Amino acid sequence: MTTTTPAAATAPDAAPGAAQPATATFAAALCAAQHDAMRLDETIVLLGQDVRAGFPFGATKGLVDVFGPDRVVNTPISEAATMGCGVGAALGGIRPVVEVDFAGFLLLGLDQLVNNGAKLRYMSGGQASVPLVVRVGQGPLGSFAAQHSQTQHAYLAGIPGLTVLAPATAQQAYDAMRWALVQDDPVVLLEDMRLYRRGGPLTRGPVPGSVTSTVHRPGTDLTILTFGHGVVTALQAAQEVAARGIDVEVLGLDSLNPLDVAGVARSVRRTGRVLCLADDPPLFGTAATLSLVATTEAHDVLRAPVLSLGGRAVPTPYTPGLEALVYPTPGAAAEAITTLMKWTD
Amino acid sequence: MTTPTRPAVDRRTAAAMYGTMALIRRFEQAAYRGYEQGEVHGTVHVGIGQEAVAVGMIGALRETDSVLSHHRGHAHALAKGVPPERLMAELYGRSDGVSRGKGGSMHATDLRRGFLGTMAIVGSSIPVATGVALANKVRGRDDVCVAFFGDGAVNQGVLYESLNLAALWRLPVIFVCENNSYAITTAVGDATAGPGVAARAEAFGVQAETIDGQDVLAVREAAERMIEGARAGRPALVECLTYRFMGHSRGDPAHGVYRDKEEVELWQRRDPLRVLAEHAGLGDDLAAELTAEARERVRAAVEFAGRSPVPGPAALMEDIVK
Ligand SMILES: Cc1ncc(C[n+]2csc(CCOP(=O)(O)OP(=O)(O)O)c2C)c(N)n1
Ligand SMILES: [Mg+2]
Repeated sequence: MTTTTPAAATAPDAAPGAAQPATATFAAALCAAQHDAMRLDETIVLLGQDVRAGFPFGATKGLVDVFGPDRVVNTPISEAATMGCGVGAALGGIRPVVEVDFAGFLLLGLDQLVNNGAKLRYMSGGQASVPLVVRVGQGPLGSFAAQHSQTQHAYLAGIPGLTVLAPATAQQAYDAMRWALVQDDPVVLLEDMRLYRRGGPLTRGPVPGSVTSTVHRPGTDLTILTFGHGVVTALQAAQEVAARGIDVEVLGLDSLNPLDVAGVARSVRRTGRVLCLADDPPLFGTAATLSLVATTEAHDVLRAPVLSLGGRAVPTPYTPGLEALVYPTPGAAAEAITTLMKWTD
Repeated sequence: MTTPTRPAVDRRTAAAMYGTMALIRRFEQAAYRGYEQGEVHGTVHVGIGQEAVAVGMIGALRETDSVLSHHRGHAHALAKGVPPERLMAELYGRSDGVSRGKGGSMHATDLRRGFLGTMAIVGSSIPVATGVALANKVRGRDDVCVAFFGDGAVNQGVLYESLNLAALWRLPVIFVCENNSYAITTAVGDATAGPGVAARAEAFGVQAETIDGQDVLAVREAAERMIEGARAGRPALVECLTYRFMGHSRGDPAHGVYRDKEEVELWQRRDPLRVLAEHAGLGDDLAAELTAEARERVRAAVEFAGRSPVPGPAALMEDIVK
């Protein structure tokens, strides 16, 4: 088997085996992870629209040159059948990665993912194994309007049988992908589209033992619980309030299901104040779940009620001025932090 | 492909078609420029080179007939009579946009003109048009509904479920496949097996044909026949062979990655505007006059869009439900 590295991953910022820690974009890190895993496991096959060209975000760019068209497969625009094929191929003994570029398109494949992928092991009394990886773009991209700007974290993370990951950095994207590709059950990678072009350090290390949570910034006064692009917002807010002497901890949930309850407990019991931050609306959304976990785990030591900050409950508008009002900003997070800090012991 | 005997067309009809195609062409060029200038946001898909499909098909409709479109839908909107200034304002994200700036290029909708919207989920217009046709039938109207979609949509199962419903219930619906040879970077032959979408439709008992989508007169002729049939409860599918001269969306080069320059140039020789001008013998003067008119209308549309106010924050939560 050839060991050439794909174009996206050989870009100078992601040179494999480079002596000093390299940097890569989030998309290039995903590409590198798929490449590195595919070299080790010949049963990994990528299925998706225009994956050979790496369209649109570059997360599979160059892989066809390395692994050939039998392993990097362009599908017709047939999401329902493609997802079903992913389930079947996994059942049949290979490891498919199904790429879905935008959250809105996943809706067409959800039947197979949820009715079969997520449930076959259980329904078969443990006989069936579906090692399927699904990659789905999430969130807004800037005036792509309602059908192309959706988040599905809350829904997907609530489905028993699906492991749901939400990486926030290039390294986490790499690690999540490598980890997903050695699991025995379906894993969904929720890739916030605003992150694809962001760069960060990347070490192409071995497969991590687990994907849990990450302290992106340690702090003592307050914990922000978030994931994906929320980490970017949270770090900016933390920076903003640091000038006022408020020391914020940012805890990123790299996995939403299973959720690192112990990691959440450790952080919130230490800081005693919690802001749950997500892009989806707080009601029936991820922030509600995070808030529930924080309250359950730390009700005896909380110094303030748990606050949640989420997006507005509206189909995402096209026009930039309105779209900007939908998702939580660092400023809004800083305001919520200020409110929380008014509670003193 | 059936090669129709080209219908004799009177000069006025030909000129009107040319004018609408020129308007669409200019409009989309302006939309592209608008994108480069930061006035049009997100992304924009233009169908430069495909104008004959929209104009031939929609030109044969009545005002009360309706149209559903997809991500490459400016032509369908303009051909259905959506005012260019209101459409451009939508692309600019302004209050005077047909969808109040909330939909943009991918969701421009003008119900008053029977333009029921552009849907950006590939294949999504197909069952919805089928449902509109059902409503027409239930309400005892003989209006038809036309669904436009690309060659990429023919592998969505929902097309076949809809063809079945349309044939089963004898619905006044026409399915128009704009086969422009590619779905993003994927050539039709790499995505679609068998003899093509027309043959697939025939298997459902839906009358179907494949026609030259660069020839607006051929499209118009097929449209008239199919519309007449659909009004009488015989749904139809027509596959129009065409080509997009530009990249898939802004930022995607016209050639170089998945198709070469020669191929694009070959198709450009069959520019629908030129094909019509030649067939109808319009003459250079008339063509130039119509082009100038189109340019002026688009200039006014751009100016109107630029002057239209951006929606205020109160608009955000309006229109989620009534
Ligand atoms: C269900 C769904 N899957 C994927 C996409 C992404 N996408 C947008 S346009 C497009 C290609 C469509 O090709 P075609 O139907 O031939 O129309 P064309 O772009 O050529 O006009 C794809 C894959 C989408 N919008 N919806
Ligand atoms: Mg196409």
